[in-house]
Amino acid sequence: MHADALVAVAAVVASSDGEGFLFALLAAGPATGIAIYTTIYRRYRNQDKTHVFEQETRIAPGPVRGDDAKVDEVRGTRRRRIEGDVIDQPRQRVRRVP
Amino acid sequence: MTMPPPQAPPPPEGAGGGAAAPDARAVPVVPRRPLPPPRPEDRQRAPGPGEPPVELAVPPAGPRTQNARLQDGINRCPRCGSTDIRLKVEGGLLRCGYCRNEWSEARVEERLGLGEGIRDLRGTLVASGAQDIDAAVDTSLTIECAGCGAEVVIDTDDAMSARCHWCRQRLDVNRQIPNGAVPDAVLPFALPHAEAVERIRAFAHARRTFAHARFKAEFQPENVVGVYLPYMVVDAQISTRLEGVGEVETRRYTRGTKSNRRTYYDADVVRVRRAVDVTVDDLTFESSAQRSNLDVHRSTNNIVNSILPFDTKNAVTWNAAYLAGFTSERRDQDVQAMHPRLEDQLLSIGRSQVRASLGAYDRGVRWETEALDVHGTRWVAMYLPVWLYSYHHVEGGVGMVHYVAVNGRTGETMGSIPLAKGRLLAVAIGVGALVEAIVLPLVALGVLSWGR
Repeated sequence: MHADALVAVAAVVASSDGEGFLFALLAAGPATGIAIYTTIYRRYRNQDKTHVFEQETRIAPGPVRGDDAKVDEVRGTRRRRIEGDVIDQPRQRVRRVP
Repeated sequence: MTMPPPQAPPPPEGAGGGAAAPDARAVPVVPRRPLPPPRPEDRQRAPGPGEPPVELAVPPAGPRTQNARLQDGINRCPRCGSTDIRLKVEGGLLRCGYCRNEWSEARVEERLGLGEGIRDLRGTLVASGAQDIDAAVDTSLTIECAGCGAEVVIDTDDAMSARCHWCRQRLDVNRQIPNGAVPDAVLPFALPHAEAVERIRAFAHARRTFAHARFKAEFQPENVVGVYLPYMVVDAQISTRLEGVGEVETRRYTRGTKSNRRTYYDADVVRVRRAVDVTVDDLTFESSAQRSNLDVHRSTNNIVNSILPFDTKNAVTWNAAYLAGFTSERRDQDVQAMHPRLEDQLLSIGRSQVRASLGAYDRGVRWETEALDVHGTRWVAMYLPVWLYSYHHVEGGVGMVHYVAVNGRTGETMGSIPLAKGRLLAVAIGVGALVEAIVLPLVALGVLSWGR
């Protein structure tokens, strides 16, 4: 029974997204250690905490204006997100123009 | 990494990897319309060096926030004349210790009309208590006691009242002079000392496992100090414009077999432009140079910052009696020095406000340029109440003050607890090794099954 389970897990390993998954499995130990350290460090020191003024301030926006124009297509990329994605990092400044 | 485009339509191979018809999730493309042009004539720049900001001009005479009823020195109970006046935390009223008369100063929100007219703000409007600090004005004031004639020195860096050494009358600083000591308004404490102690105790108790042994031994939450910290509360009318590139996934497929299997993505690339006008009410930030330094490697000021916001709408006209029994810190930054931080926060607010319009971009947006037009701002200086527990911890020869802070109005609590890093490291390594020991046999089995 136990051996059957191991074989089943091995089959999952072999049938998944190639050696990337294998390396991910190999890195599980170090990753768990790092995750525990950083999570507890963050819970005690709270260095990532600041006033969330974007959400905690009374803000009255007008209607959002703008447009969207398709300019190109990407084919066969392995990247999951656009390069330089800052859609959810409103505090990360980009080039300021007048 | 961008791969060369496939030579043919993606092959329908592999489980779950079949290339279906193109996903119709592309953002609806609409004809490009010109964005509203910037209005340079409306744009407000920060006051230049040596250039005085415009005095707050609404209402017509400009709100002088000086409490005309009070003066420097002895201030008496309006009913019995006693000077034994203190804040009664429960209820937020001033109370005479002699006749028990209770009263409150007027709320500045109504007195100055701060909740109104933000949409019509133009220029940099500065209330009288937020005026520029004159370096020539001493921060120590010498006040003559009206009771006995003695001269008493008050250092406004950390106190706004003192007892006369001879007759024990309390002397207050109530006059606005350009040294940053007397703000436009004060938000009285509403959270009692005992409750602040309990919140700090609970916060530290929940983090006792990996707390540094010395911290645990010396932890005395009863030593928490009530302190009024200087803030600037700003109303603003702004416009922001953003340009960038977004991507919408149109297809996802896998290629290859077994160990060579890869996931690929196709996407539409879309040029995105957004503009929005925003009215910001009571944006609050530190007006002390030391407190506004949020470098987490040098200080834990971010802890104090994180307990914002306060209910600044309930701030009242200045009266030093609100500070009796508490300490205070003096404002040492001018409007001009704080303008870059204000603009940075306004840019972030603009970016947040357009976020809801970007739901179609499931592969994200890379903003390339952003513009900010500040049409008008209104600056009001306030003292806001914080219960502050401080612990000086030395590690590796470097000392740092760790704060546990409690919002003196809402009770929101945040803190920094010194860590026993050795113990934490040992636990992290131990658990990591355990996980690795479980995983290694599985990996070995996986490798063996490939070889077959």
